[in-house]
Amino acid sequence: MENKQSSSPASFIDSTIVPGDVVLDLSSMTNQTIKLGGGLRQDCDVISAMKAGTLRFSKPNKYWIESSQKRYVPCVEDTVLGIVVDSKADNFLIDIKGPTLAFLPVLAFEGGTRRNIPKFELGTLLYLRVVKANFGMNPELSCTDASGKAAEFGPLKDGYMFETSTGLSRKLLSSPTCPVLEALGKKLSFEIAVGLNGRVWVNAASPDTVVVVANAIMNSESLSTAQQIIMVEHLLKNIQ
Amino acid sequence: MEFVSPEGLRLDGRRPLEMRQLRAEIGTVAKANGSAVLEMGNTKVIAAVYGPREVQNRSQIINDQALVRCEYSMANFSTGDRMRKPKGDRRSTEISLVIRQTMEACILTHLMPRSQIDIFVQVLQADGGTRSACINAATLALADAGIPMRDIVTSCSAGYLNSTPLLDLNYIEDSAGGPDVTVGILPKLDKVTLLQMDAKLPVDIFENVMGLAIEGCKAVVNYIREDHQFKH
Repeated sequence: MENKQSSSPASFIDSTIVPGDVVLDLSSMTNQTIKLGGGLRQDCDVISAMKAGTLRFSKPNKYWIESSQKRYVPCVEDTVLGIVVDSKADNFLIDIKGPTLAFLPVLAFEGGTRRNIPKFELGTLLYLRVVKANFGMNPELSCTDASGKAAEFGPLKDGYMFETSTGLSRKLLSSPTCPVLEALGKKLSFEIAVGLNGRVWVNAASPDTVVVVANAIMNSESLSTAQQIIMVEHLLKNIQ
Repeated sequence: MEFVSPEGLRLDGRRPLEMRQLRAEIGTVAKANGSAVLEMGNTKVIAAVYGPREVQNRSQIINDQALVRCEYSMANFSTGDRMRKPKGDRRSTEISLVIRQTMEACILTHLMPRSQIDIFVQVLQADGGTRSACINAATLALADAGIPMRDIVTSCSAGYLNSTPLLDLNYIEDSAGGPDVTVGILPKLDKVTLLQMDAKLPVDIFENVMGLAIEGCKAVVNYIREDHQFKH
């Protein structure tokens, strides 16, 4: 049985990590100031992994584990797609696929006052921004951007919503534009809202377009750039 | 009855220190947040993990950590004779408790207060070592769900028949009435989180058998590391 524990940290970067793996040993490093991102924890002098995924490194000293799950961990300033579960006097209770339900204050809308509180039916899909995500508390959301303007936040009408993993949502929102979206955008016109919590909403003039876009995105999870473009061409051939 | 032939072969043709073949697959239950199917020889189990999610029973909320719930059940068709009561019987309740305590020890529950993590394990085919297979499957399912853990937990069983320590007992060897030691370890931290035995063993032989089970756990760890793609 081989023992990989004595390897230097550089060899773990961009490789698959399993919980418990020791990725850094602070006592043997010269520069001891490092920034830890998600999925890593410090245990005395040793940094070990909490989640399974790929270890990433960005100069000069940032380490994090890139992993993709079905559940979402709320983070401030993330844009998410939430579903209304209940409405209370002061807040709407929204499901954002996190560990707890999130609160959306009834006044967190552009020009929101006690007199014009919106009425959302149970099950309404909303495009929201995470305002507070403190540890141990329910996260708080808002339907406005930082300056108080509506800016596309709010209920999403018509269209189709489907669930993806968090990794795929991040890829869809990355810049430069994700290959799947670029290839689809060249031939079809559609509207899309991506939530970092693993929900995607698509709307287009005709249902076929919606179905093709949804299927293309769902298929692109584990494909490389070239494979994604080929897959999209294949799907588009069938509807034209 | 002879469980180890004079040539040193067991009833299924294995050597005393040989484990059964391991096969595992993750992401098999689409609806669950994390899932895994694991086979140890003929024993096949499926594990599904849901969470962290909102606690369903408000009275059970724990304010500073996540609530871990586990349910172990055996499919009616998993054993030779069709079972009438697959869950709720004493053995299933005991194994559910054992798996819950083992997994709770390695999940970083303080990172997800006021939430709930559900682990469901079901035995599809039982041929000895179901407890260990369930713990291994639950570990893979938890890693697939991205739940923060201190380390992975692996488990294996060992016994002592015909004066020979045997690794990874199957159903016939388990029913022989000899001792059955089940061990669960945290490999990187080098700690034991589960140790159970039935029947009796003298202490020196017990040390041998427990050491053998720990070697079996380490073999499971190697399988998980080498043969698994957790990349996306």
